[in-house]
Amino acid sequence: MSGPAGAAAFAHAWADRVAGTSYVSMTRAESRIFLGALTGRLAAVLAAEEFDAVAVHQVGTDFFDAGYTAPEALGRTVALVHERLLRDLGRTDPDGRLGRLIDVLASSCARAQLDQTLDAQENMRRAALVARIRAERALHESEARSLHAALHDPLTGLPNRTLFARHVAEAFDADDRIGVCFVGLDRFKAINDSLGHGVGNAVLTAVAQRLRAVGEQLFVARLGGDEFAVHVPRTTCVDDVLKVADRVLATVAAPILVDGRELTVTASAGVVERPTSGTDAGDVLRAADISLHWAKADGRDRPAAFDPDRNAADVARYELAAAMPGALARDEFYPVYQPLVDLNSRRLVGVEALARWRHPVHGRLPAGSFIGLAEDSGLIVPLGLRLMELSCRQAKRWNGPLVSVNLAVRQIRRPGLVAEVAALLDRVELPPELLQLEITESAVLEPDDETVGTLRALDNLGIRLVIDDFGTGYANLAYLADLPVRGLKVAAAFLRGQGFDSRRAAVLEAMISTGRALGLTVTAEGIETPEQARTLRRMGCHLGQGWYLGRPTDPSSIRLG
Amino acid sequence: MDRPSWAPDDIDLDKPTAARAYDYLLGGAHNFAADREMIRAAMSFMPDLALQAQANRAFLRRAVQYLVDVGVRQFLDIGSGIPTRGNVHEIAQRAAPDARVVYVDIDPVAVSHGRHFLAGNPHTYVLQEDVRNPTDIVKHPDVTDLLDFERPIGLLMVALLHVVPDADDPYGIVAHLRDELSPGSHIVIGHGTHDSRPEEVAKLTAISRQTPTAMSTRTREDVVRFFDGFELVDPGVVWAPLWRPDSPEDVPEDPGRSGNYVGVGRLG
Repeated sequence: MSGPAGAAAFAHAWADRVAGTSYVSMTRAESRIFLGALTGRLAAVLAAEEFDAVAVHQVGTDFFDAGYTAPEALGRTVALVHERLLRDLGRTDPDGRLGRLIDVLASSCARAQLDQTLDAQENMRRAALVARIRAERALHESEARSLHAALHDPLTGLPNRTLFARHVAEAFDADDRIGVCFVGLDRFKAINDSLGHGVGNAVLTAVAQRLRAVGEQLFVARLGGDEFAVHVPRTTCVDDVLKVADRVLATVAAPILVDGRELTVTASAGVVERPTSGTDAGDVLRAADISLHWAKADGRDRPAAFDPDRNAADVARYELAAAMPGALARDEFYPVYQPLVDLNSRRLVGVEALARWRHPVHGRLPAGSFIGLAEDSGLIVPLGLRLMELSCRQAKRWNGPLVSVNLAVRQIRRPGLVAEVAALLDRVELPPELLQLEITESAVLEPDDETVGTLRALDNLGIRLVIDDFGTGYANLAYLADLPVRGLKVAAAFLRGQGFDSRRAAVLEAMISTGRALGLTVTAEGIETPEQARTLRRMGCHLGQGWYLGRPTDPSSIRLG
Repeated sequence: MDRPSWAPDDIDLDKPTAARAYDYLLGGAHNFAADREMIRAAMSFMPDLALQAQANRAFLRRAVQYLVDVGVRQFLDIGSGIPTRGNVHEIAQRAAPDARVVYVDIDPVAVSHGRHFLAGNPHTYVLQEDVRNPTDIVKHPDVTDLLDFERPIGLLMVALLHVVPDADDPYGIVAHLRDELSPGSHIVIGHGTHDSRPEEVAKLTAISRQTPTAMSTRTREDVVRFFDGFELVDPGVVWAPLWRPDSPEDVPEDPGRSGNYVGVGRLG
């Protein structure tokens, strides 16, 4: 066997011999074809005139590159060449060429092995380095992402409260003055409640976008809920921030299109602008928050600038309100009495009990400084009852003039009032006709069945009911006919000064005659001069009350009879 | 915190990884001392380990060739390892130059090397991901740019599922991936088992704990379950050398020594 058939036999044996020494990505048939081609090239070298080392070197390299990389593959190849290449090819070897061929084959494989190993190792070291750099970058980016997430609002992408506070703190270091505007959407809860959170979120997102567009130099944040904040840099006066606030309110107020629906949302703004010295970021943010609160309390859809006096008054009010429950427990509230006088006979017919607070620090406080707070907090209910009890006890002692006590709206609305008043009269043993209760017009503005029922029950007890401050609200004359009231109190303030306004006097006269026509006792409050007393008497007013007729005083100073 | 799937500390060249150890078994030099040391330790009680790795690799070659022959032109090779000799794209693109291949591996160094190696091949992509996050694989924009899941895909999971313990729900993962594939797609699985050589495989499993991906070999029955929802292509789940061998000479006397069950399933 020699020639092509012999070469094929050699290639067949070669493929079998090296199979499994290392992984080669070929079928066995493919490897026989591949090694057959290499055998042909080796045969050509043996047959050539001159020994071609370069050709043998290339065979070795190709063999290795095909995947025969294991040392065993080379070893078995060398053994096989030695053993039967000449025989299979039907050749002799007169010039010892086979030995040179094997030498070059072995060295070329070894060279290829070394080169490939070094290349592979270098590639792997680089891959490891690149992988490490990528990992570090990924870690860094994820840290940056979490940092961003910690300082931004996910819905609008705006900086959050934390970042805003940090930004303002930094502005303190950079600038002489600080200007901040807090923005709150008006009645935003109604949007969420009625149209759903999806619409609410769309509104917030739209507002955020508009605030961003107000000015590049502004720092805009979402504080949470429907509140946003704007830092205005390099301000010189409060107007600089108020101008921004006006732009903010205008841009928010433009209709917002959500799901094909046009929504109009207004906003309120709290504005602070001041020198940075003597204050800190926390103070400024608090002041902005307070101002925003004022803007809302003043009617919304407007800016309010921080005002230290108003704030001081607020703080004082707050402190007073906080002290009231304790004061009630210590019995610091008590009534003083102002005479109710018959304008014709000038005889005392009754007294109005007016609340006072014996404040341990501020001294005696008038009703105006704390009754509103008590109404806001609900403390008016126990406070009103306490004053009523003290007044009833005094009335019992006098057993003469009736005592008129104010009844707050909250008291009237409270179930159980009638039973409490009845029990009080019982306890004090006061004839009910000596107690008069004054209710404000607003309490009976739109009287519901329960209120009417309460008033009827009080009337049935024998207590007189009168309407206080008649004509100061939006008086509905119709209710006067239906409610069990016995009298009206009107303000004499219209008659203040010399030669009063005749039109106003005409209104007053009309109110008095209305009361008379309904058979009600009409009392004028706030009479300060003899002229007023005379005029009111001429107008037909029954009773009078005011400094001219008698100041509020301790019970001992009331002259009976 | 939204941490990346791997941290710089994970790239510890003093610890072996499956991808590099496998490369060493196949005669490659894309490995480090720790990889070689682990394989030498394994070969002390399993001297034919390299042969078995080659048998596995040869199965991958035959399976990819089969998929190309039945018209599959897209491949998703999860647990691809170091992409050196006899890669999927070489086999597939030799027959179909437009064949697209996405390689996925958990080993950052293997991925980094793969990207460098495949830099000039626009029809390939290498993704660093853990098979336990199948959604992150199939929804990755670079993956969906290359592979059209509305057309048949060859999903290759060769020597992969035996490093996913039952606690990580490998069957759920395979089912999840299956649900992403369209009819005509195929799954190719090669899976280590302790059925034929329990004692040696137990030692090999112990050694694999040095790598981040310890082995959890399974029985034939368990391997067959991975093909739920697929029609098994003949000859079904068999020892690696027995799956459509190129020639009878390639079938050793005791094919069970390969320690690997393999199979190809078709999605109807």
